[in-house]
Amino acid sequence: MIGQVPLDEPMLVEPGMAPEGGEASSTGGVFRLIFEVFIENRLAVIGIGIVIFFVLFCFVGPIFYHTDQVHVNLNIENQGPSIHHLLGTNNVGYDIVGRLMAGGQTTLEVGLAAALLATTFGVLWGAVAGFVGGIVDSFMMRIVDALLSIPTLFLLLFLATIFTPSVPLLILVIAFVAWLVPARLVRGEALSLRTREYVQAVRGMGGGGARIILRHIVPNAIGTIVVNATFQVADAILLVAYLSFLGLGVPPPAANWGGSLANGVNYVFAGYWWQIWPAGICIVSTVVAFNFIGDSMRDALEVRLQRR
Amino acid sequence: MKTRSALTRSLLGGVAGLALLLSACGASTATTPQVVKGGTATFAEPPAAPPNYIFPLMSLQYFSVSNLGDFIDLMYRPLYWFGQNGKAQVNPSLSLAQLPIFTVNSSGDSVATVNLKKYMWSDGTAVTSRDVEFWMKLLVANKANWAAYVPGAFPDNVTSVTYPSPTQIVFTFNKTYNQNWLLYNELSQITPIPQQVWDVTAAHPSTVGNYDLTPSGAVAVYNYLTNQSKTPSTFATNPLWRVIDGPWTLQSFSNTGEAVFVPNKRYSGPIKPKLSKFIEVPYTSDTAEFNALHSGAVDYGYLPTQDLSQKAYLSKQGYSFAPWVDFGFTYFPLNFTNRTVGPIFNQLYVRQAIQEMVNQPQYIRDIFHGYAVPSYGPVPVVPANPFASPYEKSNPYPYNPTAAKTLLTSHGWAVHPNGVTTCVNPTLCGAGIKKGAGLNFSLLFASGVTTVTSEMEALQSSLSTIGIKVTLSQKPFNAVLSVATPCPSTGPNVSKCTWQMANWGGGWVYAPDYYPSGGEILAAGAGSNSGGYNDPVNNANIVATHTQLGTAAMFTYEDYVAKMLPVIFLPSADYSLSEYKSTLHGVVPQDAYLNLNPENWYFTKG
Repeated sequence: MIGQVPLDEPMLVEPGMAPEGGEASSTGGVFRLIFEVFIENRLAVIGIGIVIFFVLFCFVGPIFYHTDQVHVNLNIENQGPSIHHLLGTNNVGYDIVGRLMAGGQTTLEVGLAAALLATTFGVLWGAVAGFVGGIVDSFMMRIVDALLSIPTLFLLLFLATIFTPSVPLLILVIAFVAWLVPARLVRGEALSLRTREYVQAVRGMGGGGARIILRHIVPNAIGTIVVNATFQVADAILLVAYLSFLGLGVPPPAANWGGSLANGVNYVFAGYWWQIWPAGICIVSTVVAFNFIGDSMRDALEVRLQRR
Repeated sequence: MKTRSALTRSLLGGVAGLALLLSACGASTATTPQVVKGGTATFAEPPAAPPNYIFPLMSLQYFSVSNLGDFIDLMYRPLYWFGQNGKAQVNPSLSLAQLPIFTVNSSGDSVATVNLKKYMWSDGTAVTSRDVEFWMKLLVANKANWAAYVPGAFPDNVTSVTYPSPTQIVFTFNKTYNQNWLLYNELSQITPIPQQVWDVTAAHPSTVGNYDLTPSGAVAVYNYLTNQSKTPSTFATNPLWRVIDGPWTLQSFSNTGEAVFVPNKRYSGPIKPKLSKFIEVPYTSDTAEFNALHSGAVDYGYLPTQDLSQKAYLSKQGYSFAPWVDFGFTYFPLNFTNRTVGPIFNQLYVRQAIQEMVNQPQYIRDIFHGYAVPSYGPVPVVPANPFASPYEKSNPYPYNPTAAKTLLTSHGWAVHPNGVTTCVNPTLCGAGIKKGAGLNFSLLFASGVTTVTSEMEALQSSLSTIGIKVTLSQKPFNAVLSVATPCPSTGPNVSKCTWQMANWGGGWVYAPDYYPSGGEILAAGAGSNSGGYNDPVNNANIVATHTQLGTAAMFTYEDYVAKMLPVIFLPSADYSLSEYKSTLHGVVPQDAYLNLNPENWYFTKG
């Protein structure tokens, strides 16, 4: 009997080359190549820098810059920037810098968690639909089509109106509308991947559908997934901002950038720029940063664009 | 002849001299405005509170200024009009009837004889006692659904109504009442409605009948009209609502709440509209409204408090500033009928603790920038009136976090600042409160008004310091109003009634219960008693105000309310900081009961 290459052992491949099918395995060379392509994109590096900055600002900043973001202080409402309040205070006396930190935590948490949840669910949905095919595929994708036909903002407003907003709910609501895109993308990949020889081989050796999907199809669509996930984060942050701007974000005293911006806009004629610009800059910077990263990830993971 | 001629010359000379003098005066006041015939005036509706109901007989969830004073009253005039030159009093000239003649019959009961003036419906028929009877029949049969219903009062206390002629109605009551109260709180509630069109139970071609004359028929008519009134898109097209007796007829109504009115050419009242069109424009927030005002798109709008710095700019743009003070007070109800938190709200010390965490002076200074007055009881302090008692004005529960905390600890609660205070001694906590129960409430408030949002955030923050956790959420005004109704005690909707505290942001304006005896909002079972408060002493105090003249009974009632806190009192902000174009006249004085009278308005050339 001819010996079989153990499925759980790395295949013999040339250094720096992706395995030709089979179960995806890590090779330092591939990642090095991806990394090299990635960092060639200056905007991506800037994007990474911005994201790191905001993560540190929001999660480490409060350790050094102490503010009370739970209790209002009407005695210092609407004050301009000063040594005591670097970016001034808002209409109920919250320090703006502290508010941006607290709001950034919520925004980033919701954005990242919603993107992760949407990507995970969407990938599995699309992979199953694409792999199984036939009537199951048709049924599953018609559900996707039906949900895609509903305007996102309308659906978000509807859901956020029915339920009392909270961080977990915002994550669920945003993920509920965001999973459709990765589902379609991965389904397209799965339709192609399921015909590959290594998938046939797994079938021939008695491998089940779950194993094929989780160990072969999903890992081999990882490029598409990762690129989409970065855009998902950016989109989710924007959606959080939309909802909060419309008054459907997390209730006070919790903060988020969209809510801070919406609150600041009430004072646009009063000239309280410090209540508008910082929150707006935070939202725009973070969204642009994730888009930079996504663009570069696409360059790095897309075979046709790679410099080999 | 001479004499005559001389006289004539003398007269001519005098007239010529007077003409010269007048022309000279005219030259010196060359800016004397010239009245413009017609014109369109736009009025900004309150933020996120467009009209959504047109049938004058309504339940609590529709009982708002936006629906009544700003909308329905323009088309359907009440029997008695209140508000005269900005003063809180009856206005005989705008009423559909002469002031009632009060007598006492041989049984010692009050009798009110009402004589109608000559008013016409827009279909050419006269407003008669049959239209009043139609209202009364619908009211009696459907009183439980009526927002202004006070058990034992109108219409329960009317033992008989007779209609001796098409222009006369005689009400007989079950005892002798305070005549002012009868006029201001009972007869004031009547709005004649067109029986010749509305006495139907189904859509056309159903024939108009006298269905209202039987209780079951009156219920069927009410149900039909109520259902028709729930479709705003048909307000301007439904044949029912085309027959009116007010000065304005609705030309169009959009789903967003934009109401376009044109003059009712058959209006029989003394003041005919001068404008050719009057438009009420909806806005989702005060910021959106101010954007429109800033751009000059609104003739009569309001300046949000946060934009007070723009007052001078608006003045340069040709706007005049006029704070609109109403005869009302601001509060938010606690839901005593909520099965979870009702037992907690039933404890006076809990309500006192909450009230003592409301820093009204600071809210007035920092949130309303002075355009508000404190509310410590149910009777307004301004406009000046004889009913506000010295005790109510004295602020029985001033801001005092220490006292609030002591109240809780002395009643068996373990106070956890910034956490949730819990009951550790149920015996002291009070009836129905279990060990471990927490002071953890939800508070729904109206969206779109920055000052209300700031106020609720400040209150939430303040309460958190003594461990009263409040979770805030926002909905539009009409949605809050529809939620804040007493929970049913039985039936499938019991579990759906979950609201705990609700603030629609506007409190209460005493209209059409113009006499501030508070029955509609605080008497047990009253149609607008949102929280379901029920206190026998309070009920008796309210009843006493109905019969006793003078201020003694009123003081007793309001002092008790101020002490017992059936609601949480908040500063009463001016209804709006109105801005109106200086070329628009007749806007001021603004009505203390918040009614609109655009028939008084006219433009002059700027």
